[in-house]
Amino acid sequence: MSKTVNGVAIDDTFAEAFGMSGTGIIITADTLKWARIAATVATGFGTSVIGCGAECGIDKELSPDETPDGRPGVRILIFGFSPDALVPQIRNRIGQCVLTSPGSACYAGFKADKTIGLGKGPRLFGDGFQTAKKLGGTRYWRVPVMDGEFVIEEETGLTTDAVGGGNMLILGTDRAGLLETAEAAVDAIAKVDDVITPFPGGIVRSGSKVGAKYAGMFASTNDAFCPTLRGTVKKTELAPDTLAVLEIVIDGLTSKAVADAMRAGLKAVTDVGAKRGVTRITAGNYGGKLGQHHYHLKDLI
Amino acid sequence: MSGLTLRLKAPANERLTLKDITPAKLAALSSHEIARLNVGIEKGGVALGDAFDISGTPGDVLTIEGAAPTLDFVAFGLDSGTIRVIGDVGHYAGRKMTGGKLEIQGSAGSHLASGATGGMIHVLGNAGDNLGSIVSGDRFGLMGGIIVVEGNIGARAGEKMRRGTVVVRGKTGAGTGTRMIGGTIWAEGGLGPEPGLMMRRGTLIAPTVDSLLPTFVDTGKHDLVIVRVLARYLKSALGQLAPKPMPLFVRKIGGDTATIGRGEILLPAA
Repeated sequence: MSKTVNGVAIDDTFAEAFGMSGTGIIITADTLKWARIAATVATGFGTSVIGCGAECGIDKELSPDETPDGRPGVRILIFGFSPDALVPQIRNRIGQCVLTSPGSACYAGFKADKTIGLGKGPRLFGDGFQTAKKLGGTRYWRVPVMDGEFVIEEETGLTTDAVGGGNMLILGTDRAGLLETAEAAVDAIAKVDDVITPFPGGIVRSGSKVGAKYAGMFASTNDAFCPTLRGTVKKTELAPDTLAVLEIVIDGLTSKAVADAMRAGLKAVTDVGAKRGVTRITAGNYGGKLGQHHYHLKDLI
Repeated sequence: MSGLTLRLKAPANERLTLKDITPAKLAALSSHEIARLNVGIEKGGVALGDAFDISGTPGDVLTIEGAAPTLDFVAFGLDSGTIRVIGDVGHYAGRKMTGGKLEIQGSAGSHLASGATGGMIHVLGNAGDNLGSIVSGDRFGLMGGIIVVEGNIGARAGEKMRRGTVVVRGKTGAGTGTRMIGGTIWAEGGLGPEPGLMMRRGTLIAPTVDSLLPTFVDTGKHDLVIVRVLARYLKSALGQLAPKPMPLFVRKIGGDTATIGRGEILLPAA
């Protein structure tokens, strides 16, 4: 049933992904270095919505021409279960990580009819000394801080048609080669707009299955894909020579962006191919009944 | 360009009021109805067709030719389309505008854009006193939109102004931004004496100011992000008409400390 491209077997299966709420935010600073620092910190601890409350990442870097204040910037994306779940995530991440970062400013990074508060919480840090400036349809807050003013737009756009959990599992016989290949796939996905790969460096090594033997654990290790358990568990997915499996999880503001990102990631993996020990690509799903979005690998290569 | 043209026949004996003479409202009327609209202010009334030669067909653009300072309330309540005026206009032009564009190829009288909430006004000449200012019975002065005056403007512009942006290529008169609550007035030719009396919030930007009230305080030299945001916004909204950006560092004069003092006068840092 599987198809082989450049020595890599591609399973005839699909990635099952879920509808999410998502937003984009632009963070600028005096230098790209400081915009990156604020963006990295604000998107930290944002790998999985189950444990972190939100899935976050850096979408892309912006040149001074592309930002509202003409300074270098970074666009981050934040995804959550619902708009209500995003509200405290945005408030806390911006309030603790961007407001505090030297020289930073914060703007809407996604235009949509639906909006969600961006500066509505952080402005209150101004303790009454904050002022607003409405230019056209956009209201900016100016919060006095110790290095001048923190400028933050009042709202940013919101979509409830975002997609979380687009994924691919890359299997191989060489752990180092597999990691390099997965890194190449993450780099290729990074070039696609409107998507993030929220896990560390974009890569997950602890793929999970739903549920566990312990009460209170919603997810637990995906034993069928653990090479050290091969043969000892009821069902193993791994061939005798498979040494490791890495997963890439993709969240996107639109379903098309996730599909484009998966296509870019799959191409990067098959381009490297068998010479770095990659043997197979598959995808995670739950039988197709839980997630609204299905991305069939065969359609994306 | 299709549209109606009104040509003022002769200097009228009385002031004329062009309230509600907007492209959208005229488009809903027959030519007969248009000609019968009353534009007089006295008991007898003056029909639009008696005061003006009317030509063309109603469209998105209304042109007023041979305009004179006796025409008040030009573009009152304009919400869409363009009104182009060749000549000067009287008082209250652009009052309660919510959208569209008013272009005056001449000068405007007092209270230009009072109570306006949106749209764009471009005056090639000067504008009188109380530009964007409050009118008796209103709560606020200008509440939105962009006004660009190529010449100078009179006294007390922006009194009780709440939002919106005024760009003046020339100089402003005395008391600019008196009792201002918000918004921005950018005077490329400088601010007249004693701006910002009792201003609560809002921004006045200029290369120079004639004199400052004693209740304004120099807060020092700053590199303000909002000034860059404002410059970019005006560049995108106005293109060629946008003011030249301020230098990176500005001197922020805060006030009026006789009230809450959250307003500011931004001057280039020496």
